[in-house]
Amino acid sequence: MNKGGVGLGGGAGGAAGPTAAAAAAAAQKQKTLLQRVDTDIGNLVDNFGFLVNVARVNDPPVRNSQESFMMEMRAARMVQAADSLLKLVSELKQTAVFSGFASLNDHVDQRMEEFNKLAENTNGRLARIGEEAAASLKELESHYYSSTLRTSAPE
Amino acid sequence: MDGDLEISLDKLPIKRLEALEENGLERFPADLGYDEKRVNLIRRIDFAWAVEREDPSKKQKSEGASAKEGTATSQQQWPWQSLVENLQLAHQELSVIIDLINTVEANDAVTVAGMTRPKQLPNEHLSDLAVSTATKLQCFRNLGKYFKQSAKSLEEQIAREARFYGALIRLQQNWKIKRHRLVAAASGNEGFYIDLFDNSLYDSAAIFRPSSLSTIPIEHDTAGMLAVNLPRKSCHSLQFEVLGLRSASNLGKAGETKTPVGVNDSSKEPGKEHASNDERVREIHLTLREVHRAIHDEQVFDLVNREACNPSIGVNLAGIKENYLRLSIGQGASVSISLVPSSQDDETYGASHRITTETSCVPSESVDGVKLGGVDKPKKLGIPSPLGFEIYLRQVFHEHVFVKAKNKAMSSSRSQISSQPPKDNSNILGHFCMSLAHRIFSNKVLSVLENLVYRTPNVHLVSHPTWHSRTSSWTLSVKIPQSILHAGSQIPMSTAGAVKNIRSPFWTRVVVIDDSIRVEGEGSPNVVGLFRGRPDSVSSINGYDCDLVDLPIILLQQVASQIIQWLHEEALTVGIKANRDFLSLAFELDQGEIVRLVAHVDPEDTQGCISWWLTVDDGVVEEHKLHPDMSDVESESRKFLGYLSLDVLYSTLLDFLNLCSC
Repeated sequence: MNKGGVGLGGGAGGAAGPTAAAAAAAAQKQKTLLQRVDTDIGNLVDNFGFLVNVARVNDPPVRNSQESFMMEMRAARMVQAADSLLKLVSELKQTAVFSGFASLNDHVDQRMEEFNKLAENTNGRLARIGEEAAASLKELESHYYSSTLRTSAPE
Repeated sequence: MDGDLEISLDKLPIKRLEALEENGLERFPADLGYDEKRVNLIRRIDFAWAVEREDPSKKQKSEGASAKEGTATSQQQWPWQSLVENLQLAHQELSVIIDLINTVEANDAVTVAGMTRPKQLPNEHLSDLAVSTATKLQCFRNLGKYFKQSAKSLEEQIAREARFYGALIRLQQNWKIKRHRLVAAASGNEGFYIDLFDNSLYDSAAIFRPSSLSTIPIEHDTAGMLAVNLPRKSCHSLQFEVLGLRSASNLGKAGETKTPVGVNDSSKEPGKEHASNDERVREIHLTLREVHRAIHDEQVFDLVNREACNPSIGVNLAGIKENYLRLSIGQGASVSISLVPSSQDDETYGASHRITTETSCVPSESVDGVKLGGVDKPKKLGIPSPLGFEIYLRQVFHEHVFVKAKNKAMSSSRSQISSQPPKDNSNILGHFCMSLAHRIFSNKVLSVLENLVYRTPNVHLVSHPTWHSRTSSWTLSVKIPQSILHAGSQIPMSTAGAVKNIRSPFWTRVVVIDDSIRVEGEGSPNVVGLFRGRPDSVSSINGYDCDLVDLPIILLQQVASQIIQWLHEEALTVGIKANRDFLSLAFELDQGEIVRLVAHVDPEDTQGCISWWLTVDDGVVEEHKLHPDMSDVESESRKFLGYLSLDVLYSTLLDFLNLCSC
């Protein structure tokens, strides 16, 4: 849908600083979305109202069958309106997830901090391991070289 | 008007008897033609009621007559035949009437006043109503079913999308997700893809070719779930080999990384969807991590290639092919770095960090091959750990290129300065090769040292980890046994001194930087002092460079001279008059004889490196030490004492106490 493109473009422009064009585009997009929502909801309500109204049983059976065709048509319209509402909702979700740059940036910063901390921890741990290994090596060497393996001179 | 239009179902127009003659002959009426029949029917229409009131008697008469005749004809073979023919005639009558009406109307003479439907009886009316109601109800029920169905399918669609976007959001926490608008419009796939391209590297001077793996499309699999499909054999990884002889250690084949799952398995049951969703996301994370690593490996290989093609210190390019590079690093070894496609099949080891360690360190083998007393010097000493060096290669490039680029891009002052910046900032590969060479060389040095120390009593080897990839250092120290220290404290000292200064063990430090050895030691003989005949004046610390071949002899001389020095000091402490020479200690006996305790160093001696001789001079100073070969033949003036430890030497010294006059 092109409106998403507009949103992303608007969002990207917003990264540099909220320019007037970006703000206008965003407002326009919001208006469009609201319009769509209204249309769809109106559709739903109208069609359902008609369905309820047509519940009356008429005498000439021809009117009944006419009404039954109309009812099917209204029902189909209702379902289609619901579907387009759902699409709208998913579009909004997408935009929120993938163009919410403030939250994305925050999240990225947070992850970077986490990873940096992890890296530091790992480095610290490696250094500690190295120190421990060096200390152990020293101890082991002194033990080995003063042990009976060595003091009994090899003949 | 109360005149009803009546239709009488007449009897069958079977041949009715017209007359019966005397001779029994039946006379039937002549068959009428079709038109005649029609005309007759028209004539039968009784307009009498419109003109005058109908005579009920006439009606009844005709009805009765028709009823009578109706019964007479009931004996028919097919009971409905009469009904059918009567209905047909009635239909014809009706059509006649209609034609008549139309004709009359067409003539404008008579107009039809009106036609009325007979008034419905109440039950008929109600039944009609019931039918209509039922129909409408059925219609509504159908609608209801339709709504339920579409609601269900919409819910499923929502759930599917929720799963997809949930997985996508979780991916987004770690990876960069972008969207192709055009692809979305074209393929209906929403066009998401994961971008693994690193923008920060474009700022540096080097131009990296963007890997074909940089963008990974996100697709729906058969169940509508998120899937990431990678073409097989598209990921490459570094393969690192130190070439030469094959060794036993075949590290790296152990599956350190799981097999990345390229295609998601959609055969899971729907009941386990939630758990499998997590697993799926995790698998995708793994896959992406593999791809990320593959991209990093490619870039590292690129950098290695570039640096190898520039002539620089420490880098000697021995061979180059597509995706393959061989460098010779000295020490008789060479390294090959290549990019191999990592197998994504379900083999035992999915990751292909296949590193076979082969080294041809021949010089070290000759030293390693010396087996002493059942101790088998492991050949591993000569071989650097290949996995370690692979990691080091990656780490050093990562740190100095990628991190630098990132820091430059971020222009932050927080920089991860490693503890060992390479000597030449742009010569990372040279630094790496030199580190590898150094490691091989220092392993050789270590084996030499260990050999020496093994065969020399009272000498300890201490390793000093330097945490620098091109420096190693060890210390050989002569440790005076505790027994002597204690004993020494019991002997009355001639020299004043409240507390005997326990001398720190004599030490000799060996430092290896790249492939040069530097030996520093305390108590090393001062050559100048030797020539002046005053060996007592030794400078405290001397240092000099040597190479691997000379290392043993130099160290042994150092150690032996330290021992002699110590003996000399002990002798002076104890009260024996002794003179110290380079490697000998001279005592003057009562008779004026000079007895020397001489140390002889021999690195090749399997039983011990330092052997001790006793020589007796009759006042004639012989320069025994200048004799190159001290044979084992004992003569009157020369006696082989053996490979003595320090306490034996000390007790020997104490024996001299009795012999010496002082």
